Amino acid sequence: MIFPKKGEPVIVQGITGKYGRLHTRFMLDYGTNVAAGTTPGKGGQSVEEVPVYNTVREAVDKTGSRSSVLFVPAEFTRVAGEEALEAGIKLLVLITEHVPIRDTLRLIQLGQSKGVTIIGPNCPGLIVPSERVKMGIMPAPSFSPGGVAVFSRSGTLMYEIAGQLTNAGFGQSVALGVGGDPVVGTLATECLDFAESHEQTKAVVVVGEIGGDAEERLAKHISRSAYKKPIVAYIAGRHAPKEKKLGHAGAIIYGDYGTAESKINALKGAGVSVAMTPMEVPDLVKAALAASA
Amino acid sequence: MRLFEFQAKELFRSYGLPTPRSVLAGDVKSVRGAFASLSPPVALKAQVLAGGRGKAGGIAIVSTEADAEREAKRIFDLSIGGEKPASLLVEEAYPHSSEWYLSVTLDRGDRSFVTIASTAGGIEVESMAGKVIRKVPLAGIDQAYADEVASLLKLDSGTAPQFAGMLLSLERLAREKECELAEINPLAVGNDGRLMALDAKVIIDDSALFRHPEFAKLHPEDEFEGEASRQGFAFVRLGGDIAVVGNGAGLVLSTLDLLGDAGGNPACFLDLGGGAQQERIEAALRLVNRLPGVDRVLVNIYGGITRTTDVAQGILTVLSEGRAKPIYARVSGAEEKLARALIADSPVKLYDTAPEAVQAVVRAA
Repeated sequence: MIFPKKGEPVIVQGITGKYGRLHTRFMLDYGTNVAAGTTPGKGGQSVEEVPVYNTVREAVDKTGSRSSVLFVPAEFTRVAGEEALEAGIKLLVLITEHVPIRDTLRLIQLGQSKGVTIIGPNCPGLIVPSERVKMGIMPAPSFSPGGVAVFSRSGTLMYEIAGQLTNAGFGQSVALGVGGDPVVGTLATECLDFAESHEQTKAVVVVGEIGGDAEERLAKHISRSAYKKPIVAYIAGRHAPKEKKLGHAGAIIYGDYGTAESKINALKGAGVSVAMTPMEVPDLVKAALAASA
Repeated sequence: MRLFEFQAKELFRSYGLPTPRSVLAGDVKSVRGAFASLSPPVALKAQVLAGGRGKAGGIAIVSTEADAEREAKRIFDLSIGGEKPASLLVEEAYPHSSEWYLSVTLDRGDRSFVTIASTAGGIEVESMAGKVIRKVPLAGIDQAYADEVASLLKLDSGTAPQFAGMLLSLERLAREKECELAEINPLAVGNDGRLMALDAKVIIDDSALFRHPEFAKLHPEDEFEGEASRQGFAFVRLGGDIAVVGNGAGLVLSTLDLLGDAGGNPACFLDLGGGAQQERIEAALRLVNRLPGVDRVLVNIYGGITRTTDVAQGILTVLSEGRAKPIYARVSGAEEKLARALIADSPVKLYDTAPEAVQAVVRAA
């Protein structure tokens, strides 16, 4: 997992759409170098003075970028993602919600064969405050530079918790939304491995929710690898009904599979400090950092 | 989207998967007619999407017309997980000696579809002993794969080819119709050795429905869920008296937790979505105001791309239309001071934090 450094060029796929346009503006405002955009058939135009190309290949050739953030509609995400992977993109952020599961699986397979990091789909993207790099849709004012890495399945909870950390004086080394779908390109375990070797990161906050077993797998991974940095987790959905999809395609409990209780118990069992509400997170981070110092 | 059993069985038959003879009946009179056209004994099976149908009394085996009528009346009056059966599947009983399990399903953790098969079926898949689990390639499986699963299950030469054929059909169905789950439980082994899908469970990937318009109109839509879906909200009815509205799935989920901890009962989960505009909060408030059972509204907004001033304006607009349910709100984030000033003189009860708003809305009962 390698993120762009300050000033390194980034491509926006689907730059001429409503959200592509809006967030290109916000990413530029933050200081991110959006060097090119793509939309098939719109080559030659510009958006916020960023040149638009027909293909990712052209955009890569002109800018040398290896990172792309993708805003295209769900039904075209697979084709656009494959285009990026074939054009040599090494970091692909899929913001789009409602991508069919089998399209995501095909992208993940192709990405793995090419050694590409895929983030999302159905995610807010990533932000590295110290580098002024924002590849996503998160509101910049919630984030500040610092030593806490935040990884979240939910967008708004990531903003809310980052905002509270910022208010409490804990900036973020990176904040990354892995996505709310049943299957996503980057696993929580991979995020933790990154954070462990990431020098600026002093503590990790994991924001999970009901559905699937990503948090249970994460807990096993933490125990097995004797993880070295302090971790604080928050899991949403303790009072969620079963068999109902709650907002995210992946947020659903089947029988006893995917309950918040199972996730909280697993993480506690692995020595993770678990917050019962988002508001408790900054205090637990403070305590965890003090204990590890 | 989960299909009703009768829909899933129609799909099964179109893929050549054997199912018992059956007739769908929408009322007691039709059940009598269906009973007369089949060979008893027959099963009457409530068509609901909620789990635990058998335990709730939603299935009966009957041998006479009088029993069929009495049991049909009883089942039509049931509420299974809050759901009233709109129809019964009247199905010939299938004499069988054992029950197996077969499914093609998404394994989220392994990020792959898998075949799960067992000759100890009829129970929860998690606790099934001796089950065979094999990854399913995205391009599909072939005869050799199906034969291998049959051989791992140690099936005899009479049933192995039938089983392999069913697995091939089920996998093709799951792939072509983009199912998250296609399950036969139980898969019955008849007294004559013929295999039969006694139950059918199919969940279609909601995100893939645009490629499968044939499923679009299968469900009778709840009025409110229909409107919410046209507005682009994520919406689930929960039956309590406090409507919960917020921006972002995780934020609304965490609001439900705060409410639950404080002893409140949510009437619904409503996620406005990211980047919500004034019109969206207005549409959401109008919707929950009309929702039966709603007494108060809890609004939790963390403004980022969503402008809190737009939210405040939307709340004011709906209040000015009259008859709005009391609103307890927490509005934080970008431009929050402006937003708070806008609604300071309105009847909206405004709190600095989500827990405070939750405490207040619960106490107001």
